Amino acid sequence: MFTVLKQYLFLIYQMSRREIIGRYRGSAMGLLWSFASPLVILAVYTFVFSVVFRVRWQTGGDDNASFALNLFAGVIVHGFFAECVNRSPTLIAENTGYVKKVVFPLWMIPAIVVVAAMFHMLVSLLVLLICSGLYLQQLHLSVLALPLLLAPYALLVLGVGWFFAALGVYLRDLAQVLPVVTTVMMFMAPVFYPVEALPEAFRPWMYLNPLTFVIGEMRGLVLSGAMPHWATLAKFTAIALLVALAGWKVFRKAQPGFADVL
Amino acid sequence: MSSDIAIRVDGVAKRYRIFARPFDRLLFQMFGLREARCEPFDALHELSFAVRPGETLGLIGRNGAGKSTLLQIICGTLTPSTGNVAVNGRVAALLELGAGFNPEFTGRENVYMNAAIYGLDRAEIDRALPSILEFAEIGDFIDRPVKTYSSGMFVRLAFAVIAHVRADILIIDEALAVGDVYFTQKCMRFLKRFKESGTLVFVSHDVNSVINLCDRAIWLDRGRIARQGPAKEVCEAYLGSFYPDGDVGDNAAGANVAVRRGSEEFGTGCARIESVELLDDADRPLSLLLAAQRVQLRIRCRASTDIEAPIVGFFVKDRLGQYLFGQNSLKLLPTWQCIAAGAGVEVAFAFRMPQLASGEYSIGVAIGAGSQEKHVQHHWIHDALHFRSQADPALTGLMALDDPECRVQDTGSNDVCA
Repeated sequence: MFTVLKQYLFLIYQMSRREIIGRYRGSAMGLLWSFASPLVILAVYTFVFSVVFRVRWQTGGDDNASFALNLFAGVIVHGFFAECVNRSPTLIAENTGYVKKVVFPLWMIPAIVVVAAMFHMLVSLLVLLICSGLYLQQLHLSVLALPLLLAPYALLVLGVGWFFAALGVYLRDLAQVLPVVTTVMMFMAPVFYPVEALPEAFRPWMYLNPLTFVIGEMRGLVLSGAMPHWATLAKFTAIALLVALAGWKVFRKAQPGFADVL
Repeated sequence: MSSDIAIRVDGVAKRYRIFARPFDRLLFQMFGLREARCEPFDALHELSFAVRPGETLGLIGRNGAGKSTLLQIICGTLTPSTGNVAVNGRVAALLELGAGFNPEFTGRENVYMNAAIYGLDRAEIDRALPSILEFAEIGDFIDRPVKTYSSGMFVRLAFAVIAHVRADILIIDEALAVGDVYFTQKCMRFLKRFKESGTLVFVSHDVNSVINLCDRAIWLDRGRIARQGPAKEVCEAYLGSFYPDGDVGDNAAGANVAVRRGSEEFGTGCARIESVELLDDADRPLSLLLAAQRVQLRIRCRASTDIEAPIVGFFVKDRLGQYLFGQNSLKLLPTWQCIAAGAGVEVAFAFRMPQLASGEYSIGVAIGAGSQEKHVQHHWIHDALHFRSQADPALTGLMALDDPECRVQDTGSNDVCA
């Protein structure tokens, strides 16, 4: 049992590494892109929202740099979700070889995507930490609590990933639908604005979007040095576990049919 | 699970259900609904068999007979519709070459990936790597992307990995067809060594390699076991099935066919082989061969219709049914035009039979018509005649050389030795 687990971990490690390096294989800048692309996106968003639209962040500093940092925190959280979920419906079809030609633990494929996306998220987070350290001249100790937030978040995304990876084999439309859904979720979460910008009446609705909680906590931990809301975090962790379990069940149930459909 | 069985296939059937709407497919998979809306296709009908550890099983059959489906079910990549498969030991399968290879990555990286899929950890792969590289023989290409490989290099690397994952059960599907002769030989040597300790399931269109490698064979025909048993028998039956008018009736004139009773035969029946004799130089029947010698093989045939461009041929096979050599009348009798209906002919081949390794041999004979490329078989007898060979026990290999010579010569002394 233990050796099997060890082998699985080794395999996940190998495959995720391949996934991460593979994205930049053949490109001149290589891994630098995972630093460069979030920075470019951040710069564009900052320009559009704070220079063109003149949006003001209502908490914290009222200048462009603070806006950029808050925005970036939201973009990082959403980006991780969007990358995993958007890719999930086509994952199995892209890896037909693993389905039909070798005995491969297929549940691993969505997990690998989550691990690779997590790597990119951590790189972006590092950029965020460096920028906020430079700007705020200090790093909050609350940053150390980040794993407690990111672990259940990854679990939640993994569950969603399993769910759509399984369904995507049968329902090809999902590949078209999900990018739209994740974009909607970006605007329906406080990525470009603080939750406080919303009228009170709308706020509970916004908390139905799991991103809302994660983005809020992320900003608290990294930018304002607030400790996590422990009770909500506990609830969130429980929900994440349930989602992961449900996604796992659906995936395992649908798996025997993959080879027949592909 | 008892350990005296390596693979047990128990009532396994595979029904593909073709749904017009993918959503129905999903509902069926998740909840078992909507079965009525599918169009079923039965790829396999309830098969049962078992493979013992150390046994080598060959699977033969035409395209679409269900060989690959069966292999995939044994490997666990396909789920059977009914029945179950029990496998005892680590399985490595070469279902389609390099399935786990990513073209963008180097050979070395792919070796690590692929071996990890088979459950090797990093240290084990590190240890096996030199041996894998040596087996694959792709030199510096190991550090280039796999997409730059020739198909031969691809196969070699994929096979090299399979050969080093220390599987208990190896499943090989048509894999050797791609490599060159040299590599195929190497794989065959590996497989022969492997089968001393491991269980092998081997699928090939090349009946010869099945006979050569396998103890037992299963002939699949449209999802059913058409025949199973010793590899040689099954393969011969399978080959015979390619000629549609398979059976030669017993009604032909020559009821006194002097061929071995119970041997396999097929053909159109337009001409029959009535007797076959192996004689020595002095016209004495020969059944034991003690040394290389000139022999005569006389084949008597009778035509029941006019046979244009007749061909009579023979081949000598060893105990395993491997073709050693043979000849036909096409080149030797270029002017032979036809046999008239009702006429009988005797075709006599004379040749020098080499000293064969000790053992049982058989001679297959056939009469057909046409050319080397395109012909019909009128009567084909797999094992018309048996003979034994008794050779010097020092003989290694299949046969002895004719008149070998050996000399030793001094080429001058070397200072280093002195």
